[in-house]
Amino acid sequence: MQKEQSRISYNGIQNGGLVKPPVFIPRVIPRSPSVPSLQNDRSFNALNASDPMLNRPLFEDSTKLTPSNKTRLEPDFNPSPVQGSPSTIGGNSNLSVIDMYGDDTESQMASEESDDSPRTNSYTPINEISDNSNIIDDKNIPQLMHRLSLSDTTNKTNNEDNDDEYHKQPIPKSPRVNISSKDAENFDRYGFKKQTTYITEQEYDVWWKEYYQYCNRRKNKWIQLMEKYDLSTKDESIRRFPPKSEKLKRYVRKGIPAEWRGNAWWYFANGQQLLDENPSTYPQLLSKIDHIETLPDKETKYPDLEIIERDLNRTFPDNIHFQRESFQNTEPEMIKSLRRVLVAFSLYNTKIGYCQSMNFLAGLLLLFLDEEKSFWMLVLLTSKYLPGVHNVNLEGVNIDQGVLMLCVQEYLPAIWEYVVPSEKSNTNKTNLNKLMNSRFTPNHSHNKDPKNEFLFKLPPVTLCTASWFMSCFVGVLPIEVTLRIWDCLFYEGSHFLFKVSLGILKLSEGELLKGKHSNSLTHYTLNGNQNKERLNNPEENEMELFQIVQSFPKKILNPNDIFEKIIFKKRITFNNLDQDEIDRCRKYVTEQRQKHIPLSDNKKSLSHTNINDNSNSERSVSSQIGESGYKSLNVQKSKTMKQEHKSDEQLSGSQSEGYGFKRSITSVNWNSGLKQRVRQIRSKKD
Amino acid sequence: MSTAPSASQQTKKSGKTLSKYKIVFLGEQGVGKTSLITRFMYDTFDDHYQATIGIDFLSKTMYLDDKTIRLQLWDTAGQERFRSLIPSYIRDSRVAIVVYDITKKKSFDFIDKWIEDVKNERGEENVILCIVGNKNDLTDERQVTIEEGQEKAKKLGAKIFMETSTKAGYNVKNLFKKIAKSLPEFQDSNSNIINETTGAASKTNNNAAGSNDTSKAGVIDISTADQQEQSTCQC
Repeated sequence: MQKEQSRISYNGIQNGGLVKPPVFIPRVIPRSPSVPSLQNDRSFNALNASDPMLNRPLFEDSTKLTPSNKTRLEPDFNPSPVQGSPSTIGGNSNLSVIDMYGDDTESQMASEESDDSPRTNSYTPINEISDNSNIIDDKNIPQLMHRLSLSDTTNKTNNEDNDDEYHKQPIPKSPRVNISSKDAENFDRYGFKKQTTYITEQEYDVWWKEYYQYCNRRKNKWIQLMEKYDLSTKDESIRRFPPKSEKLKRYVRKGIPAEWRGNAWWYFANGQQLLDENPSTYPQLLSKIDHIETLPDKETKYPDLEIIERDLNRTFPDNIHFQRESFQNTEPEMIKSLRRVLVAFSLYNTKIGYCQSMNFLAGLLLLFLDEEKSFWMLVLLTSKYLPGVHNVNLEGVNIDQGVLMLCVQEYLPAIWEYVVPSEKSNTNKTNLNKLMNSRFTPNHSHNKDPKNEFLFKLPPVTLCTASWFMSCFVGVLPIEVTLRIWDCLFYEGSHFLFKVSLGILKLSEGELLKGKHSNSLTHYTLNGNQNKERLNNPEENEMELFQIVQSFPKKILNPNDIFEKIIFKKRITFNNLDQDEIDRCRKYVTEQRQKHIPLSDNKKSLSHTNINDNSNSERSVSSQIGESGYKSLNVQKSKTMKQEHKSDEQLSGSQSEGYGFKRSITSVNWNSGLKQRVRQIRSKKD
Repeated sequence: MSTAPSASQQTKKSGKTLSKYKIVFLGEQGVGKTSLITRFMYDTFDDHYQATIGIDFLSKTMYLDDKTIRLQLWDTAGQERFRSLIPSYIRDSRVAIVVYDITKKKSFDFIDKWIEDVKNERGEENVILCIVGNKNDLTDERQVTIEEGQEKAKKLGAKIFMETSTKAGYNVKNLFKKIAKSLPEFQDSNSNIINETTGAASKTNNNAAGSNDTSKAGVIDISTADQQEQSTCQC
């Protein structure tokens, strides 16, 4: 079925895109290159069939390459896609379930124990494939994707894209003598290099062997759940998901099947509504880009263009879809898509324009969704989930970091002691000031309640944790962990980012407190009590904390290290954090900061609440969103100024006490008002 | 230069003097700040590094003469809007390395802003200003001459100016050697840099993997700086 589809596309549209109905769409929207077939949207059916990757002579030089095939093609290039027969190639032209799971590699690993297991008939050894590669002609150019999942050839021909089916089916492992096969194994199912600075490929493979089984189990559960609701479980046609429930939440938390991910994010974030209401926006932006490209002074007029340009190749240099191989004359389709999405966004929301880290957001989205949807998801991320975070003054970052610090103070006191040592351990006031390392002019600090000081003079560690939020953990955590977080982010809302941040800090607590990490410290901390020593040395603490917070997340290979050890544990108090609480917290920090930031800064400072004053398009976006309650609260907020003032008073009244987490102020009425509204909104939604 | 050591935190521990020096890397995005640090730390190079968001921190211990110093390297995001996050770190930095790309005139023009930031935060006397023109290997695409660089360095009061190529590994060690020599710690004895340990400088990429915990990576041996390397200017 897939086979046919891709063949059609191959012989059909040449430009890798669908000419959309002329009614409102003036130009072709290119599809995101690696988007799995499952990404098909009802309105994009034809488009799905035409993957630009297929229509691009990727292997222009395949004839040249063929002779050297047996040994190796290019140092970094893996000829894996080369297939035994043209028809198989057609069948592989879209990223299938198997592609996503790197099935063969997986199955190979699974059968590793039985080392000598004979090759089944269906399995074509890599080197034989290579031999056959001269069958390939221009028309059989495989998709870039295949560069990583070479061994797809295996049972592709009769495979039904069914997880449970193929994982039971033992596929003999090819002896890893073939260089090209080794090459493919260097990359994970999304095309990221398995090895990082912190994780070796062996570690990855060992873990993946387990986690892959886990993914399959979860997918089967998902299929059962979907069937209960009479929803399609075919990867390529999944559009809808069951209504929100505790059960579904649990399912999401345990991971959405990778092939469904894009559509699930789209569904839970309610992207379709946005697209339906602005069907011509993205195409128009693309037309505008085309126009801008012709302008002689485009770089001065649109300074973001150049800034975006510089980040394109620095987005996922370790991902095969984003790399330009030496044999390629043109840049990867993915880079082109990324450029279009980012430029379009910079034109769409001039308040934000382009902010570094958005390249990571868009880049990851493009791996799972088509271009237009990626664009809208980026809009949602930067407005609904991370309001103000990417604005020119980055005030949203400061606010979220303030909120995170409040949470750390509340829920992780041991770590808090490192973040902002209490005055007991720091009688020296100047020392303390140094530690706090204000980002803002210090002359205002003496007016403030010291309890809140860290909200204005954010502790240094927030310079590190800021990037967690700005890029939603892309590049901060290993990819599979990041994806699990994104699952929950779109289902549960932005408070999940705080929860996870606290989770990571909690996990790193051991490392921090035991001082395992601190060779650097031990070598001159001669006698005994390290902790005491270190607490007396705030400067050291600061560095230590920074370093751990910076590197620890990169070592968390297994998502369940966070989810099972932290997120699913009811006794961990910060798991009670909900969107309501975080929204309240954000508001509190916003107001606190506005009160204390020098006036000049204040003008510039764009709080979360101001986000609705953005462009019209922003407003229209925000008015459509109500899922997490946050955005709609803001909308309502601007309408209900009186209430606003009331809460202002309340806040300033309670200022000296700092922020009160729910446990202590449940009866505060402005809060219950908000709560009620959230409930109304939610019940409507449901 | 001013030798007031007040900024470097000195900690007496078992008779040893450990001086720490914060070095902050500034400059437009994509000029090669991360690359410069990676070349210095691990002596490796990649064509593309992931864009730095916020701030990355690395620290490195160096033994010079009989003294131990610790360099804390702060790698920053280049985009202008991130400047608002950075000042506090500039304030504490002993050394500020402002990098531009010799193939991008704009990045060269931009260094004035960074230098201004540094001076505002730190005062001109208390910080060692370095200006580095990177991507020196891309001679065909050069948009900024060495002379222009030198001139600007002089004008802005930078104590060190150099062109480097992180790709070719040109002048990077020299840069750090020069920086070390200008630290107050070594003012009296800047002629003899003694390498007490063998370490990270010769590490290959693979060895470096998993040891970004910088303390593991050992000690930089800057005395082995390639002698053929020429510093391009003595400002």
